[in-house]
Amino acid sequence: MKKHTGLLYTMPQILWLLVFFAAPLCIIIAYSFLRKGLYGGVEPQLSLDAYTAMANPNILLVTWRTLKISIIATALTLLIALPCGYSIARSKNQAIRLFLVIVPFWTNFLVRIYAWIAILGNEGFLNDILKALHLTSTGVQFLYNQTAVILVLVYMYLPYAILPLFSTIDKFDFTLLDAARDLGATKFQSYVRVLLPNIKSGLVTAGLFTFVPIFGAYAVPLLVGGKDSYMLGNIIADQLTKTRNWPLASSISMTVTVLTTGLVFLIALRKPREQKQVFDADPLLLQPVQAGKR
Amino acid sequence: MDKLRKVILDVSGFLLVSLVLLLSGCGGGQSKTLYIFNWTYYTPDSVIQKFEKEYGVKVVYDTFASNEEMFAKLKAGGANYDITFPSGDYVSIMIKENMLEKIDKSKLKNFANIDPKVLEQCDFDPGNQYSIPYYLGAAGVAVNKTKVASYEKSWSIFARKDLANRMIMLDDMREVMGDALKYLGYSVNTVDQKQIDEARDLINKVWKPNLLKFDAEAFAKSFAAGEVWVAQGYAESIFAEVDKANWNTVDFFIPKEGGPSYLDSMVILKGSKNKDLALKFIDFIQRPDIYAEFCDYFGFPSTVNVPARALKKGESWYRPEDLLNCELKKDVGADLEKYNAAWQTIRVGK
Repeated sequence: MKKHTGLLYTMPQILWLLVFFAAPLCIIIAYSFLRKGLYGGVEPQLSLDAYTAMANPNILLVTWRTLKISIIATALTLLIALPCGYSIARSKNQAIRLFLVIVPFWTNFLVRIYAWIAILGNEGFLNDILKALHLTSTGVQFLYNQTAVILVLVYMYLPYAILPLFSTIDKFDFTLLDAARDLGATKFQSYVRVLLPNIKSGLVTAGLFTFVPIFGAYAVPLLVGGKDSYMLGNIIADQLTKTRNWPLASSISMTVTVLTTGLVFLIALRKPREQKQVFDADPLLLQPVQAGKR
Repeated sequence: MDKLRKVILDVSGFLLVSLVLLLSGCGGGQSKTLYIFNWTYYTPDSVIQKFEKEYGVKVVYDTFASNEEMFAKLKAGGANYDITFPSGDYVSIMIKENMLEKIDKSKLKNFANIDPKVLEQCDFDPGNQYSIPYYLGAAGVAVNKTKVASYEKSWSIFARKDLANRMIMLDDMREVMGDALKYLGYSVNTVDQKQIDEARDLINKVWKPNLLKFDAEAFAKSFAAGEVWVAQGYAESIFAEVDKANWNTVDFFIPKEGGPSYLDSMVILKGSKNKDLALKFIDFIQRPDIYAEFCDYFGFPSTVNVPARALKKGESWYRPEDLLNCELKKDVGADLEKYNAAWQTIRVGK
């Protein structure tokens, strides 16, 4: 009896995942093994073309670039999110600070990208200020390069890192830091050797929540990137909508999915206890990734 | 427990039935509705409203951003559009794929208004059995005259190092490759590997180092904001973004070497429930006063409709004669792979 109730409760979630996640994924897998149609679509003919085409040096270069951008952006995000999460956890008015972290979500994702363009553009606010201060006469080219892509990605995914970090740090017993200090640790040592090991699960979650969506980024490199910022997400979109090679788009999507899922599993399997802790701690935190539009 | 399950089944059954009713309700109705699937900003609202008023019908106007998108959506099925506006190469593809309805030209009294020179170019549909020309145009180059004092009206403008990082080209394979091919004196539809390679190298080595980026989404915004001074793209997009007060600072030209041009046509889709109404709409568009209104709205020259040329009140960003050296993009079939490979090195490389 009890078992059935549980199944009933989770049914909507399972159905949702089956219809909107598992089924499309199966279609993508199937398409990746078919021959491409001349005008888009696929021919009902098995083929490994889409996978051999991936060995192309151009695509390998883009994969490497995507990996590089994702790692740098994730590292920077964690570096900024850690002190933020810590200060919110120790603050007296947590509610207001958390609220401020969430406020940007009220504005559409694309509008926020265009806001960055307005700030960083050659004729943007930042250059206006620099010109007024006579630091430059022609303006600095901030936009349309990899640095701009990384900056905007870090901005976009910062809340996804701050929230899980905050929720783990909030449960941390801060008297442990005092104890460490009493036992002779410096302030820095107490953070590194006492705080960090205790919030590892939060760090892992925050890292995943940022790395996974950044690895599939599409709009940010498209809008603030330049000639050197073409990422895997852009290749997939172009193969689908411009070069009419649906199987190749599918095989690259598969590779991205397998790589990121593999990463999640690897971490989940290695740290079963801590993973569980985080997900138990606040199931709501799982939502941003699903809701996050790339 | 069983009771609960029954309740859930009942509720979901009810929801399903109401959903079906809701969906079927959308299609029916007594007053006629014409479903149009068109490019973003390609038919002015005022024209649509006039049609609705004159014929006492309702028009549903959905948009797409590229031929590929339109084709993929229609191919996937489920959409019941009456009219769409493919470019020439896609008209031939859609005829081959048996997606179009034949058009009875005897019912189109305004067909005679179409420039015979344009009809000559319709070799994607000889005799216009399936398609009626809508607009013939080409992408060109917009220059911010306040920033660039002198320039030659040629694709060679993209080789100018003094304008490095202040120039932008479309993220569009056939367009940019076509520009380079034309500049080198080849056809925009060539399938000769050597010529394609030559065009690729010209773009990679001479043009690309001076470009800020390839962009088909926000190029007009970047141009309007002063971010870039030279932009290859569509006139209607550029002037939609640039403030009217600054229009005199913008020069738009079609380079003297010519480039790829496009001829978009109106077609009636197989399975259309309103064939007569669709024919009336096509005829309505080619009525001189309506065609002039459409051209004036976008600053287009009246390339297709002859009598509309005299009725146009506004200025055009380019003249029909400017398109003389341009060449219509055609479907290159399986040879598209050659373009894909070349374009990939352009988009991916440093």
